[in-house]
Amino acid sequence: MGRFIVTRGFQSLITLWLLVTIIFVAVRITGDPADMMAESRGDEAYKAQLRKNWGLDQPLHIQYAKYIFNLLQGDMGHSFEKSLAVRDIYLARLPNSIKLGIAGFLISIVLGIPLGMLSAMKVNTQWDNLGKIFALLGLSVPNFFVGLLLIILFAVGLGWLPAIGKGDSFFDWQHLIMPAFSLGWYFSGSMVRITRSSMLDVLGTEYIKLARLKGLPEWVVMAKHALKNAMIPVLTLAGLNLVIMVNVAIAIEVVFNWPGVGQLLFDGMSNRDFPMVQGIVLMSGVMIVILNFGIDILYAYVDPRIRLAK
Amino acid sequence: MLKALVALIPSVGLVLLLACGGSAEPTVAAPVATSAPAATKIQLKPTKAIEATTAPVKPASSSGILQGVTLAKIDIKDAIIEDGGPMKGTLTIAQHFGLSPKWVDPQDHIEALTMQHYDFLIHDAMFKNMPQGLMTYSLAEHAEVAADWTKAGFRLRPGLKFHDGSPLTTEDVAYTYKNYRGVQAKYFHDILDDSRADGGIEVVDDLTIIYHFNRTVLDFLYSYNGAGTGIGWIVPSDYYEKVGPEGFKKAPIGAGPFKFISQDPGATMEFDAWGDYWRRKPGVAHITVRGIRDGSARLAGLKTGELDLAYGVSTAALLPQVVDDPNLRWDPNFTYPWLLFFPNWEDPASPFNKKEVRQAVSLAINRRFAVETETMGIGIPSGDWTAPIYPDSVELPVPEYNPEKAKQLLADAGYPDGFEIDGLVPFVPYFSQGERYLADLAEIGIRGKLVTMEGPSYRAARGKGRDGYEGNSTILHSISGVPGVATHTIRIFATCDSPSSFICTPEIEELWKKWQSGATWEERNAVSAQLQKIIIENYYAVPIFWNPFVHAIGPRVLPEGDGFHKYWDTDQAPYPYPWEVWEVKP
Amino acid sequence: MAILAPEASSRPTVSLVGVYTWRFLREAPKIPLTILTVLVVLAVFAPWIAPHDKLKPVKPSAEDCIAWFGIEKCPYIDDRPPFWGKEVRTVSNPLGGIQRIKVKEGRFNVVLGTDYLGRDILSRLIYGARISLMVALTGTLAAGVIGTALGILAGYLGGWWDHIIMRITDAWLTLPTLVFAILLSSIAGPSIKNVIIILAVVFWSRYARLVRGEVLALRERDFIKLSEVTGVSTFRIIFRHLLPNVMNTVMVFFTLIVGVSIIIEANLSFLGVGVPPPEPAWGLMISQERESLMEGKWWLAVFPGICIALLVLSANMFGDWLRVKLDPQLKNR
Repeated sequence: MGRFIVTRGFQSLITLWLLVTIIFVAVRITGDPADMMAESRGDEAYKAQLRKNWGLDQPLHIQYAKYIFNLLQGDMGHSFEKSLAVRDIYLARLPNSIKLGIAGFLISIVLGIPLGMLSAMKVNTQWDNLGKIFALLGLSVPNFFVGLLLIILFAVGLGWLPAIGKGDSFFDWQHLIMPAFSLGWYFSGSMVRITRSSMLDVLGTEYIKLARLKGLPEWVVMAKHALKNAMIPVLTLAGLNLVIMVNVAIAIEVVFNWPGVGQLLFDGMSNRDFPMVQGIVLMSGVMIVILNFGIDILYAYVDPRIRLAK
Repeated sequence: MLKALVALIPSVGLVLLLACGGSAEPTVAAPVATSAPAATKIQLKPTKAIEATTAPVKPASSSGILQGVTLAKIDIKDAIIEDGGPMKGTLTIAQHFGLSPKWVDPQDHIEALTMQHYDFLIHDAMFKNMPQGLMTYSLAEHAEVAADWTKAGFRLRPGLKFHDGSPLTTEDVAYTYKNYRGVQAKYFHDILDDSRADGGIEVVDDLTIIYHFNRTVLDFLYSYNGAGTGIGWIVPSDYYEKVGPEGFKKAPIGAGPFKFISQDPGATMEFDAWGDYWRRKPGVAHITVRGIRDGSARLAGLKTGELDLAYGVSTAALLPQVVDDPNLRWDPNFTYPWLLFFPNWEDPASPFNKKEVRQAVSLAINRRFAVETETMGIGIPSGDWTAPIYPDSVELPVPEYNPEKAKQLLADAGYPDGFEIDGLVPFVPYFSQGERYLADLAEIGIRGKLVTMEGPSYRAARGKGRDGYEGNSTILHSISGVPGVATHTIRIFATCDSPSSFICTPEIEELWKKWQSGATWEERNAVSAQLQKIIIENYYAVPIFWNPFVHAIGPRVLPEGDGFHKYWDTDQAPYPYPWEVWEVKP
Repeated sequence: MAILAPEASSRPTVSLVGVYTWRFLREAPKIPLTILTVLVVLAVFAPWIAPHDKLKPVKPSAEDCIAWFGIEKCPYIDDRPPFWGKEVRTVSNPLGGIQRIKVKEGRFNVVLGTDYLGRDILSRLIYGARISLMVALTGTLAAGVIGTALGILAGYLGGWWDHIIMRITDAWLTLPTLVFAILLSSIAGPSIKNVIIILAVVFWSRYARLVRGEVLALRERDFIKLSEVTGVSTFRIIFRHLLPNVMNTVMVFFTLIVGVSIIIEANLSFLGVGVPPPEPAWGLMISQERESLMEGKWWLAVFPGICIALLVLSANMFGDWLRVKLDPQLKNR
């Protein structure tokens, strides 16, 4: 087990290094931020000064070496466009994103898992179809469009909920509910699907049949035996969804003007703010890698064959 | 500006159009005020006497700053000092893109005019644009410039303070100048007379400062003005040294009407009124600025009452929703005219190399229609190089709409069946305008596709001038302006040496040299008028309409009714500052 | 891959392939299949089916001109509600002046109304099927080819191949789509081609992961082991044994990913880096016209929304059915 963890940890580090390198090169292809900042009025001297301030006047490999060196010391650099340390800006936004991500995550679970179970238990009935169609509808409409419809209905039309921003207090649910629903509904589709299929897998196994034969009540069979065993793939996907919701809910954050990481990434990309984009992508990568690492260990713990195979 | 004048705008525009437009322009049953006076366009947004040279000479005060020197005639308006108040209520503003902490530090001033929004909140300049005029005394109460424009002296108001209570002296003014790193920094440092022991900045006493130049700097007042570049906004030297540029961006201190409280970088900024502001007590107690990219979100925020003031609600889809809402009021906030450029038209192989073809483009554009559909008739069809807000802007007739004549011109130029262009590059995000012009051009046989770009790519490409576009038959849809004089935009887009040049002809180049060597503003403005005429009459650029960048306000903004237009009175300002005069219902 | 496009060749023939196709179709869920077939037919025959051009305006009649602008012959075009709709607005020049009433009535020649440039919505939707399907299918198909190839290589060859490919795949999985989108549009300017490349570039890593897992399982199976022992070439093993066996999984995944890719196309348009106007891609239409939604001009955004929903729904339901259908075969083999 120890060797497995070390190997996986090492692999994760390589993944992150690759990610950092890819993004480092990728953003630099998108153009010269000095051109964007100077627009039509800036002279060459001004542009040169900007490049010097940002360290873009140096050769690419020096920039890269410096970036990696600073990164190892926990310094993600300074934003070109916002001038402050990327880490500070990112950490200021992260709680908002986590809040929205978790709310969306809960909604996707609350909608997705019961509907998925219902579908699996009443497979090929009207209930099954109902569950599937509700979930698939969430997948079928772009979530910014859902968000906009919600704003028009509940904020502008009925005046029940505020339309923009996150509110002043951390526990402000009124600002949260619409963006969280738009986000959660979309992701609930995949939750319904995976819950349904893994439940069906489990329901087909011998020990469930055995439990039924023993005459246990159906809900005990479901809750105690089936659900527990079906949960591993469901939680795996849910975890991945959570990371995605936290990091790249760009369209939703734009529509609701939610001050999260997604908007920051969009701003960063639009302004060719290289350190900002690098920082955000790296951090979301770190989250995914940690998550995968955790899941792998969990799986290996549950199923010894995996750790032997590797 | 008077509401009455605002009300006249459309009718005047229409009258102008009917007067100058061709026969092909159908008579529209649009509102025509019967009593519309035959006003000139200059009157639409009256310029408040910026003609520096024609203004009365300000008598040198008894304690003159520049001793024994003949003084140039300058015209800087006097500030109006009043009690103000009541410092109540919160004004919530929606900026139309993500905010940047950089905007609170004028030492790092960027090109975008947006930054002035924040300069006017936290900081104050020696003199700046105010409703009285483009140049109005602010921190300085008196200025003198040598007749040869090699010296400029300023005297501060006594008793000025920064937000932290420390006094604002000429040391701060000198520090601000020396330490400036923003746009045009090199120019400002180059013009100082280094041969002097003080490096060209002479601090006479706590209130008096003199800049010595190594050359004639006729532009100095335009550049040093708050509206000019950013060097004019005074920062506290001790504090800036102590916290450094990054610390300053986190917690800026200035001498402006509002104190910076906090920010969520990119998302919100909070400001509190500063009761000790020298000019007046602010009207509101608190200002919140939010960065809201999406137009629908800004509009929704206005409609739900979460916002009091939103910028950029002027797209064709958003505008009717503002105009139709009885709870919302709006100001047209005219900025600059839309222009079409022809990058690389100088190439002899380019179809736009022929004047007739460029003229045909102008004739094909249905300006009246564009104004009606894109701006609900608020925009004003324009035939000018730039907006009539500059002392040297020239008013030219609105080009006619005559597709028949355009087709004829194309045939004469050897394109009886029209031709294919590389594309039309619309200004981001005004794609629908681009599509309309393409539809207009298709009517006369000029065919092509819309080449949309992502915002920053558009700006970067335009910043590179003709080199930013491949091929020789692109049409560029653009809007641009710089506070100061019209010639500044000519320098950017129509001179050979500019990195953003689209027009380079010997004739213009010669006049441009003449403008640069002009000794007085009278001389310069005459040349400027010639330049604008040449550009327009040769169709090097095709003007379309004067753009209203509509700002909308919610019901809480005072005064109720139409009086709110006063907030947009500041000369050459893209945003409704000064902020200390805003009032809201508490 | 013949199974993939049954809707394109739905006519049964006497050949064996035809018999199987027919049997396949008879068992397939009717509604999604019908919708997909209709959409594909619309896409393929768009120029013949669409009543109007996708880019040229449908000019208003003299009657309309009077109702809209008060003049008989107008060079103006404007949006118009669907045939049952009627829009009455009091138009005043906003800065004061005479008011007039602007009545816009729907017409049968433009059934679903027109957009602000007078372009027929129905025709644009039909052409949009072409663009949206092309973007989604080619993008995900390209991703599938790249991802499957790399997944098989990584899974079967193992060792360093596996390490290198999988580390890149993992890193790639974490890159936000937006980064690629802006990257490409800044190099070459927004275009339909870009969106296809973006989809390919984004999705290959998901295929690769999936296929590798599948191959790892297959490698342990007897028939592969046997082939290896008897000295069958690696090339042959991959093409004769591995590829056909992972194909089912890949196809199911493909149907699911097609739906996602349409949504991604819409999101990219929303962020300004998707299919560029004036092309009538559904995602672009919905994001471009979202501002009109609050104005009450719902038809501009809702019809493309319905199209997207129909396509994604049916692709997903079809995919679900396919999975059930193919799964036992996989297990029984």
